[in-house]
Amino acid sequence: MHALLRVIKFALQDLGRNISLSFMTVFILTLMLLSVNVLWSLDVLTRQAVEAVKNQIDVSLYFVPETTDKNITDIKAYIVAFPEVTDLKLQSREEVLQSFKDKHKSQPEVIDALQELGDNPFGPTMIIKTKEPEDYKKIIAALNAPEYEKLIEAKSFDNHEEAITKLQNITNRIEKIGFGLAVLFAAISFLIIFNTIRVAIYTQRVEISIKRLVGASNWFIRGPYIVESIIFTILSVGATIAIIFGALQWIDPYLAVILPNGFSLTNYYYSLIFPLFGIQAAAVLLLTIISSSLAMRKQLKV
Amino acid sequence: MIKLSGVSKIYKTGTSALRNINLNIDAGDFVSIVGQSGTGKTTLVKLLIAEERPTKGVIEIGGWNISRIGSGDIPFLRRQIGVVFQDYKLLPKRTVYENIAFALEVAGESRKRIHQTVPQVLDIVGLGDKSSSYPFQLSGGEQQRTAIARSLVHRPKIIVADEPTGNLDTLNTGEIISILKKINEFGTTVILVTHNREVVNHLRRRVITLQGGEIINDEEEGKYRL
Repeated sequence: MHALLRVIKFALQDLGRNISLSFMTVFILTLMLLSVNVLWSLDVLTRQAVEAVKNQIDVSLYFVPETTDKNITDIKAYIVAFPEVTDLKLQSREEVLQSFKDKHKSQPEVIDALQELGDNPFGPTMIIKTKEPEDYKKIIAALNAPEYEKLIEAKSFDNHEEAITKLQNITNRIEKIGFGLAVLFAAISFLIIFNTIRVAIYTQRVEISIKRLVGASNWFIRGPYIVESIIFTILSVGATIAIIFGALQWIDPYLAVILPNGFSLTNYYYSLIFPLFGIQAAAVLLLTIISSSLAMRKQLKV
Repeated sequence: MIKLSGVSKIYKTGTSALRNINLNIDAGDFVSIVGQSGTGKTTLVKLLIAEERPTKGVIEIGGWNISRIGSGDIPFLRRQIGVVFQDYKLLPKRTVYENIAFALEVAGESRKRIHQTVPQVLDIVGLGDKSSSYPFQLSGGEQQRTAIARSLVHRPKIIVADEPTGNLDTLNTGEIISILKKINEFGTTVILVTHNREVVNHLRRRVITLQGGEIINDEEEGKYRL
């Protein structure tokens, strides 16, 4: 207990007496964590944006007016059986007519033309959503069977196909670039932190050798650096959390406009605060302890 | 107390620093080890504090064979031998008091004992009023006296002083030697490594002369003969 308290005391003394170097180390660690979190946030936002666009996409099947309820029930049962289908909405002829009228209420010539037709010219409409945009092709292909084809007047999917393919390509590319950047950044961060700590220990090499010469054990010499690593980790992760949540207060209102599905980065970070920052804290602690241990090996040989 | 039997040290570079050294130093002795630069004096000190291991031979301190001492045992050995270096080797960011207390803290001594002992050794070396000064605020002589106080603080049976007066003027040299003599009078074995002719001749104690890594002379109440 004596030894542990002394190790903590030495660590605090070293931090205070090397305040500029301690500050630099915390500053660089915080910058590294902020960069990682910015990259992570961009990835989350990209995925959310893609999800939002994907949610806008569906396949609408416009049936001929003569389609019976039994036909509709059969087709519905057939489509729902596909595991890729996540949602299916049905609009009756009357609902389609009402929806058309609502949509064109500011265009009297369209409403007049509709009235001239007399009868309801619309058939029922089926709106299908799938898990992934590429799943639509499978559904469309399945509906190309002759018994269904004669009942379907039009399919809206053709208009979206090109956009979906482009979106898919962009998403895949962003994910690859993001992964590459993350790996590159992690490597650069590791080298910067490793060298910062190495320099910090190099400046104290004389002190370390003196401690050895007056009978300090390895644990007594290494202990304060481990405590310092823990303090650096707490300070840098704490600063990162404060900066991120501060920045999110400012960013979130803008995101609410861009992402209409009510996504909030603040809520996202709150929901994952322990696993997300816990992993980062563990990584920083491991990185600082490994760096200081490697840097100190030579000095401990005295 | 200290026994070296057939000790040789050859460094990885091929340099042969010590050759077949046989030496006995009794408890309470005051021994000066003299010789010109590069004769193996500092290597001998390094072997005694296990900073280096002998290539051949056996080193015993108080019956403890330290020739192949494990790295985990080195701190325990060093807490039993007080070492004073030419360049003082003080912790620059710790005060005089903290430098001396550090040697006790690493040995796990209680705070109470540290508070009692440190002022006592500071008084012995005449630095009672400098306890809160940092090394850079002290003269060379005061820094060396701090180093001696640190080496004394855990009441070692042996003090090894490697060129302790090498950076000091005549006045400070005299003071440091007086302190070492006083420590020896309390019963501590003192090994003084030096090439200061006046100091050795003035002491009139046992003198071991090294040349080319070998002992060429060992005499009681000897003189500097090179």
